[in-house]
Amino acid sequence: MLLIHCPYCDETLPEAEFAYAGEAHIARPADPSALTDEEWRDFLFIRTNARGPHYERWRHIHGCGRFFNACRDTVSDRFLMTYKAGEERPAHATLEAAE
Amino acid sequence: MTAQRHDFDAAPFRLEELPWSPRFSLRVRPQNRAALEGALGLTLPARIGERSMTGGTEVLCLGPDEWTVLVPESGRDALVDAGARIYAQTPHSLVEISDREITLRLSGPQALTALTAGCPRDVEALQTGRAARTLFDSATVILWRDGADSFRMDVWRSFLPHVRAILDKVAAELKSGL
Amino acid sequence: MSRYRIPGMGRVDPARTVRFTFDGRSYTGLRGDTVASALLAHGVHLMGRSFKYHRPRGPVTAGSEEPNALIGTSRGPGRFEPNTRATVQELREGLVAESQNKWPSLKFDIGAVNDRAYMLFSAGFYYKTFMWPRSFWDRVYEPFIRAAAGLGKSPTEADPDSYASRNLHTDVLVIGGGAAGLQAALVAAKSGARVVLVDENPEMGGSLLSDPSVRIDGQGAWAWLADRVAQLRAAGVTLMTRTTAIGYYHQNFVGLVERVADHLDRPPQGAPRERMWHVRARQVVLAQGALEKPLVFDGNDRPGVMLAGAAQTYLNRYGVKVGDIAAVVTSHDSAWYAAFDLADAGARVAAIADTRDRVRQDLVDAARRRGIEVLAGHTATATSGRLRVRSVRVNPVRDGKVGPGREIACDVLLICGGWTPSLHLFSHTKGSLAWDADNRTFLPDRTTEACQIAGAGRGLWGYGPVLEDGMRAGLAAAEALGRTGTPAGAGVEGDRPGTGVTQKELPTDRSAGKAKAFVDYQNDVTAKDIRLAVREGMRSIEHVKRYTTNGMATDQGKMSNINGLMIAADALAKEPPQVGLTTFRPPYTPTSFGAFVGYHKGATFELTRRTPIDPWAEAQGAAFEPVSLWRRAWYFPRAGEDMHAAVARECRMTRASAGMFDASTLGKIEVAGPDATEFMNRMYTNPWTKLAPGRCRYGLLLGEDGFIRDDGVIGRLAQDLFHVTTTTGGAARVLNMMEDYLQTEWPDLDVWLTSTTEQWATVAVNGPNARKVLAPLVEGQDLSDEAFPHMSVAQCTVAGFPARLFRISFTGELGFEINVPARHGLALWTAIHAAGQPYDICPYGTETMHVLRAEKGYIIVGQDTDGTVTPQDAGLDWAIGKAKKDFVGKRSLQRPDIVAPNRKQLVGLLTEDGTRLQEGAQIVLDPNQTLPMTMAGHVTSSYDSVALGRPIAMAVIAGGHGRMGETVHIPMPNGTVRATITSTNFYDPAGERLKA
Repeated sequence: MLLIHCPYCDETLPEAEFAYAGEAHIARPADPSALTDEEWRDFLFIRTNARGPHYERWRHIHGCGRFFNACRDTVSDRFLMTYKAGEERPAHATLEAAE
Repeated sequence: MTAQRHDFDAAPFRLEELPWSPRFSLRVRPQNRAALEGALGLTLPARIGERSMTGGTEVLCLGPDEWTVLVPESGRDALVDAGARIYAQTPHSLVEISDREITLRLSGPQALTALTAGCPRDVEALQTGRAARTLFDSATVILWRDGADSFRMDVWRSFLPHVRAILDKVAAELKSGL
Repeated sequence: MSRYRIPGMGRVDPARTVRFTFDGRSYTGLRGDTVASALLAHGVHLMGRSFKYHRPRGPVTAGSEEPNALIGTSRGPGRFEPNTRATVQELREGLVAESQNKWPSLKFDIGAVNDRAYMLFSAGFYYKTFMWPRSFWDRVYEPFIRAAAGLGKSPTEADPDSYASRNLHTDVLVIGGGAAGLQAALVAAKSGARVVLVDENPEMGGSLLSDPSVRIDGQGAWAWLADRVAQLRAAGVTLMTRTTAIGYYHQNFVGLVERVADHLDRPPQGAPRERMWHVRARQVVLAQGALEKPLVFDGNDRPGVMLAGAAQTYLNRYGVKVGDIAAVVTSHDSAWYAAFDLADAGARVAAIADTRDRVRQDLVDAARRRGIEVLAGHTATATSGRLRVRSVRVNPVRDGKVGPGREIACDVLLICGGWTPSLHLFSHTKGSLAWDADNRTFLPDRTTEACQIAGAGRGLWGYGPVLEDGMRAGLAAAEALGRTGTPAGAGVEGDRPGTGVTQKELPTDRSAGKAKAFVDYQNDVTAKDIRLAVREGMRSIEHVKRYTTNGMATDQGKMSNINGLMIAADALAKEPPQVGLTTFRPPYTPTSFGAFVGYHKGATFELTRRTPIDPWAEAQGAAFEPVSLWRRAWYFPRAGEDMHAAVARECRMTRASAGMFDASTLGKIEVAGPDATEFMNRMYTNPWTKLAPGRCRYGLLLGEDGFIRDDGVIGRLAQDLFHVTTTTGGAARVLNMMEDYLQTEWPDLDVWLTSTTEQWATVAVNGPNARKVLAPLVEGQDLSDEAFPHMSVAQCTVAGFPARLFRISFTGELGFEINVPARHGLALWTAIHAAGQPYDICPYGTETMHVLRAEKGYIIVGQDTDGTVTPQDAGLDWAIGKAKKDFVGKRSLQRPDIVAPNRKQLVGLLTEDGTRLQEGAQIVLDPNQTLPMTMAGHVTSSYDSVALGRPIAMAVIAGGHGRMGETVHIPMPNGTVRATITSTNFYDPAGERLKA
């Protein structure tokens, strides 16, 4: 069981309080009708499946209830950092500093 | 020699179900928090887990835009009315959840031990005067720490029998002294 | 006093006798004994038969790594446990123990014929022996394998014991209460850290318990130990004995299993048998010590052949002399000290054969002083004795040549192939290992966790270095926590330093092919098996392991892994690290299911949600069914009714007059705020802008992929306020999905969501007399069709309670749903029930609800849909707000595969012969097509309909909407059934009854 830092509660808490919510930084298109079938397919189904740092979403579902973003290394299973929804994807330099 | 001993205290913890009392879920954008505080006559703590008490009404910050409000029955209607009056200027959501949760009080020297049977988070680290929404076994609960040995736990109504049954098992276990 | 017990020795209590039985025979032991030590005190070494060859076996260890002495223990009905290690199970009054893998008796066992058929059971025998002929599989091989498989007997009765669990957070967790762990814990605690020290034994001390002659800080080892334990308690350290660290997971999460009651004569009422601790530590100190390895030679498994360290433990800790005449074969100094202790306690030690040419002179002198013959540069090539070792054959080895052998008579043979650090927990964390080429052993190297390793667990030997290292680890843990520790040195006198060499199988003068030189005692894997595996092409140790099963038994290779690797590496002519080490996985020792289950058995097996009306249903004798986490009243049988009869009656009474239904489990979400309408427009397929306050609408929720996720009736209570209902199972999922969009896609919307599922208790009243039942109870709302038409919602008072009243129907009858604060739910229910008596109102359950809705063709999301059904497929196009520019899933409804023809579409089915179809039955269009047939779809719902006087069914069928009136074919157990495709709206298709 991992420990996860909730950026809203500013506490590091057991994974049991959290729920995984898929890859991060995939925004719903503002006007889906403007997308081609292929573009819409990619939005729906195509994900990165990274080996190494992976940007993903979690929800502190048994806590403050907020969705937030995380960068987790899929090899070591370590969280490199977590940050609030809507914040920019952190640069690699920031991640390395966090590590 | 292989003497058997254990460090648990054999005195059981006390478990009480608190009587019904009005309870609301209050939601408002953080930037409108101060305005709403004034209109409702309450203090809405800004940090998750912090509590306030104003004239018998207790408020807990559960999320960046979410508070639980425990109001005495005598103040219930006034709170609802105050909310309705300010709604147009300060949009918010004030939803009654008095019947959604039932509150248990756990107290006594082993209350903390009993909670560690179901809570994965470090309950000991929860400071007196604070509270947290968390897990007890498989139920989401709000855990209030009122003293070193005194806790309240708000449990959704239908989850209560399970939570109580687990606590009963823990009580029997603690009574055994092992 | 039993024959092999030595008065005045050991930590057992000579004043307290404990009676127990083994294979039906009564024995006595002493308080503090294990089953193994108590039996050994009576001279009993034979404790079991091996798994594959049924060879007689006795204990080789005195600890949790024991591969041989596995017994069944019992304490009355339901309290039988197989495969208990006799070396761990503490004696308790009245313990009933039995040996395993034998028939008819331990001393004479038919299965031992396997031992003669040795060649048949060589490495990979499963893959070779059972290959052909194919026809033998069902009748010969599988029954044989099934009969022979498994170790011990499975318990057959329910386990009456209780189990517990705890979460524990601490600064430092020290695993292992030996010399290193004691030091680490004390130093860390004195720095101010919260410290937990655990040990799998009944008491702290580790190997100090077996080495009383060592002196530390001027005290005897045991006095020092007692003092240390007292100091630890005084420093506030939590000491947990009989507690095994079974797994070490990410971020210093460690699972501990505490054996609470198995050692007690009579556990007190309420005491759990075991307790699982989920520990989160900021720092972990692994001080687990090292495991002694056997030497591998022909006959190294006879009862009486035992690790030297184990014999030393039985002697010093339990006061048991494991035999009268001992012989020793070793490649490590430690066995010499064991021999000295035995000799000093009055046993005769005939000889010490050491595989090394040169041994420390002080050891040789000490042996000779005790009259022990010293045989350096020797190998062991055989043992004799059927149920107990009688002699060992040793041979000199000169320049790699094995000289003539010589028999040494003995009744116990102590062996020692050196020690290997206990790397298991460290390996759970994927910490890397380093090969120590000098000592030919693996040592822990880089750690991935906040963890210190101390003592023999990282290859150190002797109490001086180990105590020093424990102190270092304690200081390091304190420093990592930002604390300052104080060094606490410990001076050791009479230390027992030691070194040794690591061996493959010992050289022999006999045909290696005939030798039964065991590497893995528990799985009966020999050195020959491992070499055969290499010859047959296995190159990686992982393949060798699986082909031979070496290290795959419940001891997880604690004794066999390194020896197996040495032999495989030799056969491959490679260095061991090039061949690799197999992965250790949790749990460290076999763990009961109960420990994992914890409190989740019996009534708390799983969380069961109950509605406020549940007690009434229970009192009425309702049958219940689980629906997601809820238990719901399924039907209300009257005397003499089975389910079929009860459901038929409930359907009939509801359509004839009135029925009432507990709908409290429906999910409810309050959607409030100035942007509530905009939010609803974006989430649901339907248009909401023009829905007036006081009206409600069926809402359909899709995923972004266009498939149906949920549905429910949504009432608009005010301009900015919606009362959303969801399916019972979908409540949490829908709220999560809504929160996701609101928080991450549309944070600009001023709208808030609150779950009110449990705030409201909901009672549905249906039937032509529903209004008449309800009207007398309602204040503040005119229920007439004009004032309160179908699909209305109002806030009023019902039975004196504030209520949200809906006029809606899931049955096709005139219907109302009343929501009141949940604490009044039961009172509302009984009030309606009383008011309905003149109309013979019928409480009905979920089964009748399913039938009534199916008669109207109303879908159940998750039953008639399966995550691949679009609104068009389900015939719900009408629920789509076509003028809306966007809503969740809208774009997908134009995807090519969604608009493609011949999608599976929801239709009704009526069988020609009146058979009720099975839900899930497959449907074919042409029953005469060649096999395999093309499945056109399947039945999703099927019921006997009282209203129609025949069974009805719903199904998804390829292109179904265009096949009305066509005949399809459904294979059923009693033959293929013909059915006609129809509309799903079977009953009152014009909807006249709703308008009543």
